[in-house]
Amino acid sequence: MKMVTILPERCVGCRNCEMACAFAQSGDSCSRRWSNIRVDVSTAERFVMPIICFHCDQAWCMAVCPANAISRNGDTGAVVIDPTRCAGCKMCILACPYGNIHFDHEQHISRKCDLCGGDPECVKHCISGALNYEEIDELIGRKRDILDHKLAKVMKVHQGRTDDE
Amino acid sequence: MNEERIVKTLCRMCDDRCGIDVHLNGDRIVKIEGDKSHVWNRGRLCIKGSHGAEMFNSPERLKKPLKRTGNGFVEIPLEQALDEIAEKIREIQTRYGPRAVGVWKGEGVGFAQQEELARRWIHAIGSPNYFSNDSACFASRWIGNGLVLGPQGFQADVDNADCLIYWGQNPPNSHPNVTQQINRARARGARLIVIDVRFTQIARLADLFVQVRPGTDGALALGIIRELIANNWLDYQFIKNYTVGFEALKKYAQQFTYDYVSRETGCDAAWAVPQIAREIRNSMPRTGIVVGNGFEHHENGVNSIRAVACIDGLIGSVDRKGGKYLPAGPGLQELTLYNEKPLRHLEPLGADRFPVQYDFRHECHTMTLMNTILSGKPYPIRAIIMTAANPAITNPNTRKVKKALGSLDLLVVRDLFLTETAELADYVLPAATYLERSELVTHALFHTLTLTRRVLPPPEEVQDEYQFFHDMAHRLGAGDYFPWKNEDELNRWLLADSGLTLEQLQEAPSGFQYAQPRYQKYLEQGERPFRTPSGKIEFTSDYLKGYGYSELPVYIPPRTNIPDPDYPYTLVTGARKVMYCHARGHNLPALSQALTAPEMELHEANANDLGIQEGDVVRVTSRIGSIKIPVHIASADEIIPGVVQITHGWRDTNVNEITLDDTFDPICGFPVMKSVPVRIEKE
Repeated sequence: MKMVTILPERCVGCRNCEMACAFAQSGDSCSRRWSNIRVDVSTAERFVMPIICFHCDQAWCMAVCPANAISRNGDTGAVVIDPTRCAGCKMCILACPYGNIHFDHEQHISRKCDLCGGDPECVKHCISGALNYEEIDELIGRKRDILDHKLAKVMKVHQGRTDDE
Repeated sequence: MNEERIVKTLCRMCDDRCGIDVHLNGDRIVKIEGDKSHVWNRGRLCIKGSHGAEMFNSPERLKKPLKRTGNGFVEIPLEQALDEIAEKIREIQTRYGPRAVGVWKGEGVGFAQQEELARRWIHAIGSPNYFSNDSACFASRWIGNGLVLGPQGFQADVDNADCLIYWGQNPPNSHPNVTQQINRARARGARLIVIDVRFTQIARLADLFVQVRPGTDGALALGIIRELIANNWLDYQFIKNYTVGFEALKKYAQQFTYDYVSRETGCDAAWAVPQIAREIRNSMPRTGIVVGNGFEHHENGVNSIRAVACIDGLIGSVDRKGGKYLPAGPGLQELTLYNEKPLRHLEPLGADRFPVQYDFRHECHTMTLMNTILSGKPYPIRAIIMTAANPAITNPNTRKVKKALGSLDLLVVRDLFLTETAELADYVLPAATYLERSELVTHALFHTLTLTRRVLPPPEEVQDEYQFFHDMAHRLGAGDYFPWKNEDELNRWLLADSGLTLEQLQEAPSGFQYAQPRYQKYLEQGERPFRTPSGKIEFTSDYLKGYGYSELPVYIPPRTNIPDPDYPYTLVTGARKVMYCHARGHNLPALSQALTAPEMELHEANANDLGIQEGDVVRVTSRIGSIKIPVHIASADEIIPGVVQITHGWRDTNVNEITLDDTFDPICGFPVMKSVPVRIEKE
């Protein structure tokens, strides 16, 4: 199953993902308060961290939901909340170790990522390439590729550069 | 008819022109997504790009021509509007002379092709007075780089660079999808240096971030030059064969010691300069240096840009793979008439005071225009035809802009919406959007030419740029210059010498790659390898000297380096916000929820001194006026203490009410909008 993978070292904190998610969720607003993805930025501590639901294989939010409002979509693998069943008890928010579920104070229900039905808007709006919608093995391949380039560069510096123009 | 379909074309919510898939349901645009096949953005799009659909479907879009009457605007038929406008132009030209009419190209509906049409039209009707937003953005970079390297489209070869230096530019907000290009380079192991007044989004990726005070970049560049020379980190072969002025530059750079550079820029130069120089040494010639808009809007902007371009020459990165590459264009024919019908003898406005600007860009000076409209000096200008510009928001000293434009005998504004500038007009004409036009767009760095699609036909009384200038030229007896029946025929003519056909481009909706990368083309250019007066890279410019300017890229400290006790803060304007393009997008309800109000960025130390909390409203005063604005407190090194930033583009809190339209870079005529002395008081 594909998931939204994250390379935090590529993220610039532009928040296009949050704005796109907000619009997808609300239908009429790019205000970040509607967003299910969040980007934490600290200039003082020099970090940028985009975080979105991982749709855990063992989803604690789903296990703990007393209303059976949380289920897994068979097509996308997304762990989704049925807003008509959600009782607003917030147990899922307590259960999620990552803070990836938030509470809608207007509708009095929990809200989380639903992978936009398998075509996530956050990824399509990620102008840095930090977010990708892919199989976990693809991410591993890419991470290894990045490392290999770094190692090769270090070795090149030691061996003297070659110009391949 | 409810057939779902996708049409590929290019975005025009900013000028980067990302590839887009426009989703239609029947004849309704329901969604816009990135085109995965387009080389520029590879399927990704910023938030304003996807909100092109919201723009297109906005109920506020102009669909009918408007005429100002005693009772405000009334709708009139298009043909009547064109007839009346032509008649008024004729009257004004008869009474005051042909040059009393000017054209002004904005950036609301397009760039290259629209610009050339405007330039062609104004010369066709006998006036040299072409104005545009470029004379307050971009043109000084073209001039600064052009003075050193020659006026050609050199660009950092991001995808092949081993070190990228983003200097005074923040691509995530101003050129969003360049961010993924930078990250591709970083994934290959390229280093990234960011130099800016603010710790910007792109700074978050940087291996090295260097913070300098506004307008002091030239001092840092000359410090780097000194360091490169002292260490012999140069391409002597290139310097010897392809440059002029090395000895003079070397001598001049000697005074840019760590101490002096530290004092001027505010950065620790003994730390920063050797590090930057070493990164350049390690990567040369694959060092891609990008100079941004942050260099412009200062009194010594062009020289600072020249100093950075000199680094390209010193390390021989010019037209090298991964360096300051010169991509080949597609060889389109030119629409401008500067060879066929030059009108310099008619004294294009501002060309006497800023001849370099006119030599390089054939642009007149918009700030001079305001004075000229109001004073009639040096000669009357009584009509302006404006196409999707909004200077009532974006030019400096907008109070004067409104007064001047409002006092014209004829102001015609073509636009998508009733902008602040359109509100001043005698006639407002509805313009076609990018989704209703077909034009040729080049992504030179990728050697890709894309023909944009007319996704839907424009509404009946809405014209594209070509049709408008065509119809006006034919009404004014200049129809011979606009012989093409429509945009498609024009596109065919533009392609005539390129070896490409319209059909070829139609079959490549995500762009056609017209060439392969080729480097060091100067090796084949014989006696005059570069298009400078000497034919070489010019560290010193006899041409500038001839006009009485310094031949060297001298550093002159900005006035704000010695704070004025009455105006102790330095105001920087113009830092981009990704959801807006200058004054565009603020009227779209969903998009504008992303950022609902402007704010002034103020360092936390200054906020403490002034007793200001987040969100407090302050009065910001320059010597021409003041505005009230809420404060955002910047932490750590998000901004330098003593410097504040306000983004332009807002109707109600318009920072350009206090930017200066009487203090210029003497070479290019750019206004001071990024080092404005101001004072700040708590309301």
